[in-house]
Amino acid sequence: MILPQAKVKHLLYRAGFGTGLQIDSWNESALWKKSNDDHLLNVVNKPQLDSDPREMKDKAKEVFEKSRQEIMKVNAAWIMQMSRQPDLRERMTFFWHNHFACRTLVPWFAQDLNNQMRMQALGSFSDLLTTVSKHPAMLQFLNNQQNRKDHPNENFAREVMELFTLGRGHYTEDDIKEAARAFTGWGFNPQGNFQFRPRQHDEGVKTFRGRTGNFQGDDIINMILEDPQTSIFITRKLGAFLVSDDGVSDSLVKEWSDDFYRSGYRIDRLVRNILNSDTFADPKNTGTRIKSPVELLVGILMQTDGKFEDDRSLVFIQRALGQVLFFPPNVSGWPPGKAWIDSSSLTFRLTLPRLLFSGDETDFRVRDEGDVNGLQNENAGRRRLHCNADWSLLANRFTKKRKEETLSVMEDFLLSRPLLPENRKWVAQITEKKTDDKELVKSGFIAMMSLPEYQMC
Amino acid sequence: MEQLTRRGFLKRSMLATAGTALIPQFLKAWEGPVNTGSDNVLVIIQLSGGNDGLNTVVPYRNDIYYKLRPQLGINSEKVLKVSDDLGFNPAWGSMQRLYDEGHLTVINNVGYPNPDRSHFRSMDIWQSASGSDEHITTGWIGRYLDAQCKGCGSHSALEIDDSLGLAMRGSEMKGLALLDPGKLFQATKQPFYKRLSEVDGDEPHIAYLYKTAAETASNAQYIYEKSSVSATATTFPNTELGKKLKTIAELIRSGISTKVYYASLSGFDTHVRQGMQQERLLSQYSEAVSALVSDLKQSGNLGRTLIMTFSEFGRRVTENASGGTDHGTANNLFLMGGSLRKPGFFNGAPDLSRLNEEDLVYQIDFRQIYGTLLNRWLQADDKAILGEQFPLMDFV
Repeated sequence: MILPQAKVKHLLYRAGFGTGLQIDSWNESALWKKSNDDHLLNVVNKPQLDSDPREMKDKAKEVFEKSRQEIMKVNAAWIMQMSRQPDLRERMTFFWHNHFACRTLVPWFAQDLNNQMRMQALGSFSDLLTTVSKHPAMLQFLNNQQNRKDHPNENFAREVMELFTLGRGHYTEDDIKEAARAFTGWGFNPQGNFQFRPRQHDEGVKTFRGRTGNFQGDDIINMILEDPQTSIFITRKLGAFLVSDDGVSDSLVKEWSDDFYRSGYRIDRLVRNILNSDTFADPKNTGTRIKSPVELLVGILMQTDGKFEDDRSLVFIQRALGQVLFFPPNVSGWPPGKAWIDSSSLTFRLTLPRLLFSGDETDFRVRDEGDVNGLQNENAGRRRLHCNADWSLLANRFTKKRKEETLSVMEDFLLSRPLLPENRKWVAQITEKKTDDKELVKSGFIAMMSLPEYQMC
Repeated sequence: MEQLTRRGFLKRSMLATAGTALIPQFLKAWEGPVNTGSDNVLVIIQLSGGNDGLNTVVPYRNDIYYKLRPQLGINSEKVLKVSDDLGFNPAWGSMQRLYDEGHLTVINNVGYPNPDRSHFRSMDIWQSASGSDEHITTGWIGRYLDAQCKGCGSHSALEIDDSLGLAMRGSEMKGLALLDPGKLFQATKQPFYKRLSEVDGDEPHIAYLYKTAAETASNAQYIYEKSSVSATATTFPNTELGKKLKTIAELIRSGISTKVYYASLSGFDTHVRQGMQQERLLSQYSEAVSALVSDLKQSGNLGRTLIMTFSEFGRRVTENASGGTDHGTANNLFLMGGSLRKPGFFNGAPDLSRLNEEDLVYQIDFRQIYGTLLNRWLQADDKAILGEQFPLMDFV
């Protein structure tokens, strides 16, 4: 088993986004803050009555431009909020953001869906599922506004079962058709509130997974939740997220999901079981997960208390590395693990600390999605991504009597796994001539953050 | 039921690859060629944003076209007529020449069932070669590498860009992204990077990072060295696409073992004032592609090269009120090269009298084209890569 101190560090990486500068005064109960301590995002306002979100598509370019900027404001606000300190609620909001992957053109929808997930991140999965399924952002994204009695659209019903609850192979194509009929009439009004439209609802008898009745959307959700497979599916996914991208054993999934199911889908209970397990603490699961781009970025900001001069840099980095919050690649979310790493993303990751803290410039060109109303390229040549950190403060914090000690404390703080010996030697060389404490700490931080070890959590 | 089978298949095949243990120290082996007997090359050019196919290949005798496009319809006198009923956009003079020389095949009415009108989703579908109701996290070229290229280098598939798109990502293998060979080589020959590429990870997950760094450095150097001795004298237009295709031309000249090149041109999302904007892009495309074809011809590589151009969707037949067009469905797709079996028009013009909710109806699933390219051009197992046997076509 790993040492108590190493255990705390591992917990911070997996249940938070890494070690924060307050680590010395940190204790585990801070992870379980009550939900009334929530920090809800509040950077955009609810749309006015006269602006029908359903008509966004027909509106002029300026509306899109404004929406895009506002969604990116929500994005930046969330990144900064995640970077304050290790926070399980933010961490779980991030998990649900990927699980219930959704895109919307309406900034308030994006912010509100995110806040709903934050409030229920550790509550009941049944409530969370219902809230998300009835949210205008999701209903719009999965085309349920177009799901009408004589003109069913199966997209919503399919994804709810395939990606949100049961997983592939646990329902039939007929189940999708019948569920879609039950969801007819689920929509939202111009004020952005869920609305059931009886005239668009198919009142007929449906047969869903062997049961027959005049089912409504809520009945379908309840029947899905009654099936322990939903508990297994969520447990397996959360287990992989918290423990290992390679997944956890079927027997553990069974043990945890039985308890999750019996508890009435209490997410906090499931999280506690996973975090308290021996498997979680097993050294072979420590420092072996590849950080996603957002995890990498949040970690850097948390460990340096860094602040960007220009929020556009935040967006640029997310785009360069392939994970922009609120812009998942599709409804199945971002694929984890090795999928983050390719020749160009790795090269960019390894140069990122120098771009942030050494004033280096980049001429990296981010991808264009082709959408004139989407994220636009501002590929005007070279750019700086300058991020301000208080190096004097960090130097005070990390400087020890001997240089080796300083480097060793920094290594322990910055990395989830020890440096390879040859890399430790290299960091020592890089910092050899630094006599000034501030310079030493800064160059040590940049060097360690530039290594593959730093990509792991 | 068929869908379920296919999903099940993909799931199984992914699990199978994921289970392959990481092979340590296989470094140095990756300059070997792809495991196939052919030395054919595929160049993919992606037009991002949804190119308006109807104003690219214009049905200049069709009254419905002019009726639904009173402003945007291209005057039949200006259309570059190539057949009795179809002609090219005036900006496509060079493409007309390729057509006349038998180096161009136009396939009309390409799409997929239940089309999605969102850019990112439809592009996702085209790049992963999925159905519109499934989500596949690997790309079709990436899976080609997985199937065909165990142990060969990531330079087997090159994307001429700074970052790597979904199409090029397999579950084990990935292509390599580079905007130009010099730039990537500069980045990876730094002492910091070089040093890393000589280090091994002490655990499989981190080893993957070290392996990728080492591969990147080695491939970057290999590509740079190859390309630096194969400069072309052909004049390429000084445009974004012109520069990308020049890089591709020089790499093909160099005899490098790259099988697939991928380049994109963006800006086709013409909701507003489409006319000039699309013509500018089509002209950029036409000039760059014709320079590539002449260069390939001159270097004797045209016979073994096939260029394929697609866009994520076409546009609505009816113009909108802003002098533009909105997102549509089926579209035309272009093939260029020296080995086309059916130059000219592969099939008939879109039927404007038979629209589905005002949109063109697809006739050919794009995965039939991918399947044909994989099977007949790259000699790969199209069924395994696409997860389903799509009927093959006889364009190559």
